[in-house]
Amino acid sequence: MARWKTCVASLLAIACSTGCTSLGVEPWDRDILAKDEMQLVTDPLEVATDDHIYFSKEASSGGRGFGGGGCGCN
Amino acid sequence: MKKRKNGGISTTLATATCALLGTTPVSPVCAQEIDKWDFDTSLLYYGEDNERVQDASVAVLATRNFVDDRYLALGLTVDALTGATPSGAITQPVAQTFTRPSGKSTYTTPANELPLDDTFRDTRVAMTANWQQPLGRLYTFNAGASASKEFDYTHIGLNARIARDFNQRNTTISAGIALARDDIDAVGGAPVPLSPMLDVGDLANRMTTQSKDVFDVVVGVSQVLGRNTVMQLNYSYSDASGYLTDPYKIISVVDGITGNVVTRPLTPGIDGPSHEFLFESRPDDRVKQSFYGQVKHFMHGKVLDASYRYMSDDWEIESHTLDLRLRWPLGDEHYLEPHLRYYTQTEADFYTVSLVDGQMLPAYASNDYRLGNFDGITAGVKYGWKTGNGHDLSVRLELYQQRGDIPANLLVGNQAGTVSYPDLDAVIAQFSYRF
Repeated sequence: MARWKTCVASLLAIACSTGCTSLGVEPWDRDILAKDEMQLVTDPLEVATDDHIYFSKEASSGGRGFGGGGCGCN
Repeated sequence: MKKRKNGGISTTLATATCALLGTTPVSPVCAQEIDKWDFDTSLLYYGEDNERVQDASVAVLATRNFVDDRYLALGLTVDALTGATPSGAITQPVAQTFTRPSGKSTYTTPANELPLDDTFRDTRVAMTANWQQPLGRLYTFNAGASASKEFDYTHIGLNARIARDFNQRNTTISAGIALARDDIDAVGGAPVPLSPMLDVGDLANRMTTQSKDVFDVVVGVSQVLGRNTVMQLNYSYSDASGYLTDPYKIISVVDGITGNVVTRPLTPGIDGPSHEFLFESRPDDRVKQSFYGQVKHFMHGKVLDASYRYMSDDWEIESHTLDLRLRWPLGDEHYLEPHLRYYTQTEADFYTVSLVDGQMLPAYASNDYRLGNFDGITAGVKYGWKTGNGHDLSVRLELYQQRGDIPANLLVGNQAGTVSYPDLDAVIAQFSYRF
């Protein structure tokens, strides 16, 4: 448990601190990032479908979003 | 205020606004006209080999976009499920008879075949609703609800998420919680864990409605790394408590020397199981933690989408998931997207193949293949195109394969030669239409 907390806190701290200082682009350089295909989720139904399939067939779920559930899947 | 439909300043502003928001997770709705409905629809077929689970599903996600980046998203999914699933009993050189979950009749598995529970037939209806809006200049708030209903299962959930932008909106930190309450009305009643499978008509070991509560927390950061690259890091914590056992899974009781399932004396004139089987038992609490990272990178028109997830839980399951997609444009209106996913997990600490007759029962035991040690590989491709009126269509075809190993120390007697992990091959076919 302690190892997990340290790992996560470190990663978030690194990501945040570096992100807040030097990473990123100016607003007028976002033409590519604004494309549909560059969004983190491009097809919400496909993501939901896959989450449901793998939730039903594997012991892991979530990560990208909430762990989900809501089914007595076999 | 009236808005011009096409090419107007409002569309330009909406696109620019979305560009500034950049990393909002549900932003496909963004770079489009505001103040209208968008519909995502899909038809799915999921089919496993050997007459195992088949699922036909239709899903609709309707999103109403308002000015000021507010939106309402309503989702509906209907699944029709049929087929059979491994019951947890092991293969035997003789036929085995089982009492059905309803307790009303029996079914028989031929010799040398994996016992499958073929009474699996259900329709599932699931609904979601989400509202998102900005709070001030830098915060975004999202609240939602979910509900689903199957013949033997009811789910209700609530969730909320807040995000704040930093660093000229190049960095977004978010936090969300979700609460869910699920009720399980197992066919025939949920059996008492580790109680024996009984004769037809004998429901003495069945319980009334069972329930479980799930509490999820997700915190994350998304970061623009450059003009072509954006990434997401998430940490998730999930605590499920209550009835976490699968009411339909069973475990064979075997002879400690031979490993064969112990036969059961039949009651004259009454149908019942031919061998000794116990209903499985799982702990009533499970804490899962996962770390998730995703990178999207634009490369001369192609987009690489790579993600990794590490998960561990207090059932001693650990898993790694690697997912790769490459969107490859074919001209301006078409694209191909190959997809490769690799998954591997270790078995739960109470995973077992069988229980030895005469030995003291453990507190928890399950032979659910999903709690075993296996690898999963998904490989497939999606083809998408834009219609003349700007609608998006796509078809994808994927193959999903599970291959598992049973640890040698879990096999008793001759099981080493007769019992193996119930490998799985499945097809995923999906047609999507966005308009």
